Amino acid sequence: MCGEDGNFEVKAIRYPRYIDMEKCIACGLCAEKCPKKVVDEFELGLAQRKAAYVKYAQAVPLKYTIDPKNCIYLIKGKCRVCEKFCPAGAVNFHDTPKEFIIKVGAIILASGCEVYDPATHDIFGYGRSPNILTSLEFERILSSSGPFGGNLVCPSDKREPQKIAWLQCVGSRDEHPGAKGYCSSVCCTYAIKEAMLAKEHSKGPLDAAIFYMDVRTHGKGFERYYNRGMDEYGIRFIKSRVTRIIPLEDSDKQLIRYIDNTGGRLEEAFDMVVLSVGLGVSKQAINLASKLGIELDRNNFVVTSSFEPVRTSRQGVYVCGNFESPKDIPQSVIEASAAAGVAASRLAEARWTMTKIQKTPEQIDVHDEPPRIGVFICRCGTNIAGVVDVPAVVAYAKTLPYVVHADENMFSCSQDTQDHMTRLVKEKGLNRLVVSACTPKTHEPLFQETLTNAGINKYLFEMANIRNQCAWVHSQTPREATEKAKELTRMAVAKVTLHHPLTELELEMNPRALVIGGGIAGMTAAWKLAEQGYFTYLIEKNGSLGGHARQLQETWRSEDVQKNLSKLIDAIRSNNKIEVHLNTRVKAVDGFVGNFKTIIEKDGQEEVLVHGVTIIASGAAEFKPDQYLYGRDPRVMTGLELDQRLIENTLFLKREIESVVFIQCVGSRIPKRPYCSKVCCTHSLKNALKLKELNPAMDVFILYRDMRSYGLREDLYRQARGKGIHILRYDFDRGLEVETVKESLRIRFTDTSLRRKMEIRPDLLILATAIVAPKENPLARLYKVALNDDGFFVEAHVKLRPVDCATDGIFICGLAHAPKPIDESIAQAQAAAARAATYLAKDSIRVGGVVSHIDSTCCSGCKGCINVCPYGAIFFDDENRRAAVNPALCKGCGACAAACPSEAAVLMGFSKDQLYAQIKSAIVA
Amino acid sequence: MSENAFEPKIIAFMCNWCTYGAADLAGVSRLQYPPNIRPIRIMCSATVSPHYILRAFQEGADGILVGG
Repeated sequence: MCGEDGNFEVKAIRYPRYIDMEKCIACGLCAEKCPKKVVDEFELGLAQRKAAYVKYAQAVPLKYTIDPKNCIYLIKGKCRVCEKFCPAGAVNFHDTPKEFIIKVGAIILASGCEVYDPATHDIFGYGRSPNILTSLEFERILSSSGPFGGNLVCPSDKREPQKIAWLQCVGSRDEHPGAKGYCSSVCCTYAIKEAMLAKEHSKGPLDAAIFYMDVRTHGKGFERYYNRGMDEYGIRFIKSRVTRIIPLEDSDKQLIRYIDNTGGRLEEAFDMVVLSVGLGVSKQAINLASKLGIELDRNNFVVTSSFEPVRTSRQGVYVCGNFESPKDIPQSVIEASAAAGVAASRLAEARWTMTKIQKTPEQIDVHDEPPRIGVFICRCGTNIAGVVDVPAVVAYAKTLPYVVHADENMFSCSQDTQDHMTRLVKEKGLNRLVVSACTPKTHEPLFQETLTNAGINKYLFEMANIRNQCAWVHSQTPREATEKAKELTRMAVAKVTLHHPLTELELEMNPRALVIGGGIAGMTAAWKLAEQGYFTYLIEKNGSLGGHARQLQETWRSEDVQKNLSKLIDAIRSNNKIEVHLNTRVKAVDGFVGNFKTIIEKDGQEEVLVHGVTIIASGAAEFKPDQYLYGRDPRVMTGLELDQRLIENTLFLKREIESVVFIQCVGSRIPKRPYCSKVCCTHSLKNALKLKELNPAMDVFILYRDMRSYGLREDLYRQARGKGIHILRYDFDRGLEVETVKESLRIRFTDTSLRRKMEIRPDLLILATAIVAPKENPLARLYKVALNDDGFFVEAHVKLRPVDCATDGIFICGLAHAPKPIDESIAQAQAAAARAATYLAKDSIRVGGVVSHIDSTCCSGCKGCINVCPYGAIFFDDENRRAAVNPALCKGCGACAAACPSEAAVLMGFSKDQLYAQIKSAIVA
Repeated sequence: MSENAFEPKIIAFMCNWCTYGAADLAGVSRLQYPPNIRPIRIMCSATVSPHYILRAFQEGADGILVGG
């Protein structure tokens, strides 16, 4: 790679795959006929594949490849069986590596991670028994497309296991050579998931045990998941250190020797042992970083900062996912959007400079013509024709009502067939098409484009799936498969007959954004939007910007929060594309994506803001407890209050402090609030170290339940232990008492290791209290977005759309979404801005097509549809007392159509008449 | 299938985003199952009103599968 920020030149090599992707129809014949069997890397050695193969059945694009390391022809010069059998002529043994140059303005590293190899450490017994597996191998066993078809079996003899153990922290939180000192952050939750799934897959009762040091379920919703694992699934959680796993030769079991919580030496045998292996950086990724000149930390993760979480040491190069630090899917996806957004900010000037506009012909109006249907039956080489009697299906199609043309194609998806179809539409005046071929999931857009190019509305089209759901799955019964193919074609013809042309409308997009909340997340989002060139309103209910960050001294990486916060506030204040409204609240909201009208109230005055998108960054609060003498004794304070005193340097003004106690999980992980507040363990460790630094002679205690210093934060935990901070696990069930005894504070609790009552009399008691959502949040009602049971906003999809709300054009970031530290809030704010920009970058949005419509003459105004619509897309017209659909918000699920007692709601393209026609033609010839 | 044996006709309402994709994947994986199912693609299982199910039985369906 050469060049610089804004103008890079990257030289890349594309390795040959020996199969032409344009020609491959993914029939799989090459793999079926290939004589060479090799170990399947994707199945982690638990299964075999051929030298001609597709990596996994769900691969996108679904195109085969030939592995040159194993192909007999490419090694020995003889074979070429795949070439002979390929019906599409896609095999090309002359394929060569191709070097090419990519010119780009920014680079994003998303090269992922690799899992720890437990064979490095012989105590795990990995490799000595096939029933000692890594967690990734176990995932393959659970997978229904995996080596055992999703049946839970021991690899050794395929019997169902009765007892499975999971071992946590294999290769993580371990300073031995070869292992990693940090926490891999994801393994606790995935082990719980695997144990739950294993219990579901198991036919008999399964005993699942997880051997752990701390259960780190710190992500959103994960604590509830952990509780379910314990209470509903009966998973055993054993706090322990495992010393050795011994495969027992006489019983085919594995003996786990461990030291339990109290120091007792115990052992237990299991049928199967799953090693929860940690995450690390691969050698290839390290090489890549050195080629690009990117700085890595001592664990080989890319160096970033809390305030610029996706920026690397090299200008113009950004990072996301596990190459930055170990993290789960939601956080990786958030960072991916953040990196895309930060790169887009940098390249904002170049936006639309390389765009080409596609021209489409004028649409022919066919709505009052009688249906003239063209039916095309695909042979798909031999994929369909090898099972289904295609000429018989063609002959049958010709007898169906309104069909004026039917014929067969070798490959319906090939370019010459598309041209042929376009010609026939014109010659025979066809106004509806049916293609009986593969699946509409992959090929509907292609045929719709052909219709558009022929001047026909693209919704006058249906596919009959006679390959994936017929020929391929009934290959042993060709007669029945042919019958089914005829019926599927008949159903498609019946449906397409009733199709109407559907229209799409263009709605203008207002290019302004509204960000609600002037904390670190809201400010970051506003700043990033302004950098991309979008005018942004930033409203804050208080009299100043900054939010909770004003009370924080340092991040866990010792970055000065106040200094960085001032820089951010200055950037906001000096940007003429950001309009800040302080002491402001949202009073009313109207409109939807592209055109929101938000009425704000400031000092009794109202003002209307018009904007295309909304980002909610309204934050959360620190829980103020009603226990442990908080508010009654000045020596008891919360974590943030301690920070405030550290910032102001007022902690030691009034008294000598010789000992301090931190109590963790105050208000978190309790039945009333069954979630983890994520930041408090790290925060207390950080402040404990700070106090030790100020006075090394001070006695500092942290009383905890599970120490959740996840990811690279584990370093702080290790440092804290090294500095002599007393970290004690208290028995939560036995409680913890705080009293004043002769003017001194007294804390009494039961230590879980010593199993004894302990007593500490500190000078200061710090409560690591929960992060809580506001009791009432009018924003949820005003913008019609959902809150979860804990009062935090709900994302559209936990893993894949972690900053979008289900309602289009509304995004969430920061504490309003869930408890999280500064770096994650900033990444999420950058992500929200990036996602919002995908709307703002358009002049208009296209709406319509497959959406619902409510016939106002039939609507009785019962509002049943409004109650079931998950997207807030149906509104009630008070004047006419009728419901109506906003096509800009409708996602076309049709829930309203099912709920409507008057059949007034119709999902266009899936109307009840069409469904009835399909049902009828499926059964009656 | 023998000529006389009872062969049920089953109407399957399959959600585009999950079951329909799974049925495609069954094809890619070459899983084999009896050819009695007549799939109807829908955009969400929530759109399957009781009317569709009753109508299918009325028309003579022997079984109905709703996948979503």
